[in-house]
Amino acid sequence: MAANFWISSQYKELLDQEEVDVVHQLDKERGITLDDFKLIKLHMSNYVARLAQNVKVRQRVVATAITYMRRVYVRRSMTEYDPRLVAPTCLYLASKAEESTVQARLLVFYIKKLYSDEKYKYEIKDILDMEMKVLEALNYYLVVYHPYRSLAQFLQDAGMNDATQLTWGLINDTYKMDLILIHPPHLITLACIYIASVLKDKETTAWFEELRVDMNVVKNIAMEILDYYDGHRSISDERVNAAMSKLAGR
Amino acid sequence: MGDVRGNSNSNRPEWLQQYDLIGKIGEGTYGLVFLAKIKANRSKSIAIKKFKQSKDGDGVSPTAIREIMLLREISHENVVKLVNVHINQADMSLYLAFDYAEHDLYEIIRHHRDKVILSINPYTVKSLLWQLLNGLNYLHSNWIVHRDLKPSNILVMGEGEEHGVVKIADFGLARIYQAPLKPLAENGVVVTIWYRAPELLLGAKHYTSAVDMWAVGCIFAELLTLKPLFQGQEVKGTPNPFQLDQLDKIFKVLGHPTPEKWPTLVNLPHWQSDVQRIQGHKYDNPALYSVLHMSPKSPAYDLLSKMLEYDPRKRITATQALEHEYFRMEPLPGRNALVPPQPGEKVVNYPTRPVDTTTDFEGTISLQTSQPVSSGNAASGGMHGPHVMPTRSVPRPMQMVNMPRMQPQGMSAYNLASQAGMSAGMNPGNMPMQRGVAAQAHQQQMRRKDPGMGIPGYPSQQKSRRF
Repeated sequence: MAANFWISSQYKELLDQEEVDVVHQLDKERGITLDDFKLIKLHMSNYVARLAQNVKVRQRVVATAITYMRRVYVRRSMTEYDPRLVAPTCLYLASKAEESTVQARLLVFYIKKLYSDEKYKYEIKDILDMEMKVLEALNYYLVVYHPYRSLAQFLQDAGMNDATQLTWGLINDTYKMDLILIHPPHLITLACIYIASVLKDKETTAWFEELRVDMNVVKNIAMEILDYYDGHRSISDERVNAAMSKLAGR
Repeated sequence: MGDVRGNSNSNRPEWLQQYDLIGKIGEGTYGLVFLAKIKANRSKSIAIKKFKQSKDGDGVSPTAIREIMLLREISHENVVKLVNVHINQADMSLYLAFDYAEHDLYEIIRHHRDKVILSINPYTVKSLLWQLLNGLNYLHSNWIVHRDLKPSNILVMGEGEEHGVVKIADFGLARIYQAPLKPLAENGVVVTIWYRAPELLLGAKHYTSAVDMWAVGCIFAELLTLKPLFQGQEVKGTPNPFQLDQLDKIFKVLGHPTPEKWPTLVNLPHWQSDVQRIQGHKYDNPALYSVLHMSPKSPAYDLLSKMLEYDPRKRITATQALEHEYFRMEPLPGRNALVPPQPGEKVVNYPTRPVDTTTDFEGTISLQTSQPVSSGNAASGGMHGPHVMPTRSVPRPMQMVNMPRMQPQGMSAYNLASQAGMSAGMNPGNMPMQRGVAAQAHQQQMRRKDPGMGIPGYPSQQKSRRF
């Protein structure tokens, strides 16, 4: 499994976009639309990243945490599983799974520091309770393959080492979408390299052709990433707040 | 898997209703192990490992996370099968349910050493080793290092469809070693000292699957001689991996490693810092074959010496070991390691695991006054209730599934002595080790709960368990 994505639980559990884009009945009743749903997950991905910066864990831990959070909401409602608790809990669990354990009290300390809003206020006990619920919601599948893994090798092979930082940044941004639930990670890597090559005006057609991967899928992922960047400009704090306000209070 | 939630209002969580609890079969630093039967399928036994709730507010233990994480991804005939995970929200405990294995190499070796006084049949040794290597090959090819291989973690299935099949267990220390975020050595020192590879003892920071192969070599030798190959005395309570006595035991048998044979030796922290003590005392006539009473020309010896190669980079891999000549000659290894295929071969009947039927899932000792036990046991069982802890721990460390041997509080000295087969004189704690008296009392706790329990007059199984 660790060496072979194709026999991993992640591969077996890959979903279609239509399966990911389902707003839970309980959330619908609160007026949460598909747009709100995506927006809240985006906002929570940013929350995880901010917290991670403060507790100082590496990008892979952030990526795993966001993947957990997105997986949770394929199966559970935001009404029953408050994202403002699920997000830090996923970071907590991911830190253990990725061998960089962060103490719960440290997370709680930074949560309070980052958000004065009462709705974000959770205590250690809440995180520990939620940890078990998250484990259950994940069906105990904890190993996550990320697009970062094959990046260096691909860039080297494509003669694009100078685009490392750019591509790395693009991959980071893919976690603001649900791509990791839908596509094999190396295809996400390739989509990011494809975008980087276009931005850097590098000719990579021959290299991609030799890879024997479905370029249609790679291009579709790339389109989705570009669509995200287009749409990102229209995401205002007001829109995020409006979506967040539909979540249940405590 | 595990979608059943604990019911906080009752003592028994809901999910537990699907099992009949038989009793406790083991105890370790991070919890208890129970034997249970699935109600829907009475013939199926399950070992349930309960992880204690964390004390210092750190949630699910990283050990449990690691074990679940790996076991949810892997599937192999020679690796223990995780059949279910259960969560009890009420007391924040986590339960892992495994297919139950009746035997393990620790008990099999012990049985031959102390009871039958006869070496293990060559067919059985070879089959056990082959299957162990087969499981390990699977793990290593998936970039998983077990890091804690020892006889008690190598399970063997009891009677049934998988009789005599080896299962590697206890993944609490196992790691995926591709691109770890931290050097593996930062996770603290691992591997029970007797099976610990020399590079670990010398402070290696980045170690590989070769550490598991060293442990397999030690286990192979132990299967052949019934005695641990390198019985060093552990220096406890120090984070320092340096264990002089253990190294000394290895050097005595294998000779000193040299930078000529092991070039990276000079880079190991303790080789440099402890030149005096490590390189000082030289053994003149190291001889692995004489310890083993084997011909140095035999294939078994050749394979073993390749597993006990000092340089981890030269040490034989699981893949290579499976191809070794030893496995191509008669007797050929088989799936049922305990029963040779040739008719007429003597089959050893190994004892079943002792079960402590007085401990429930909460880990509390129940006096079980209402429990009908035949022939006067009820009275003494009840009487012994308050003294169950000391009684239970005396006869011997209880064997367990997937867990380190039980270390009853204050009994570690005895435990060590018993494992090492040391004499009472080696018992620094001067713990009383009077087997007779204790064993008698013990036996009453150690009877497997009979399925007919609760029906008055139904005699409980009087099958004596190794006492």
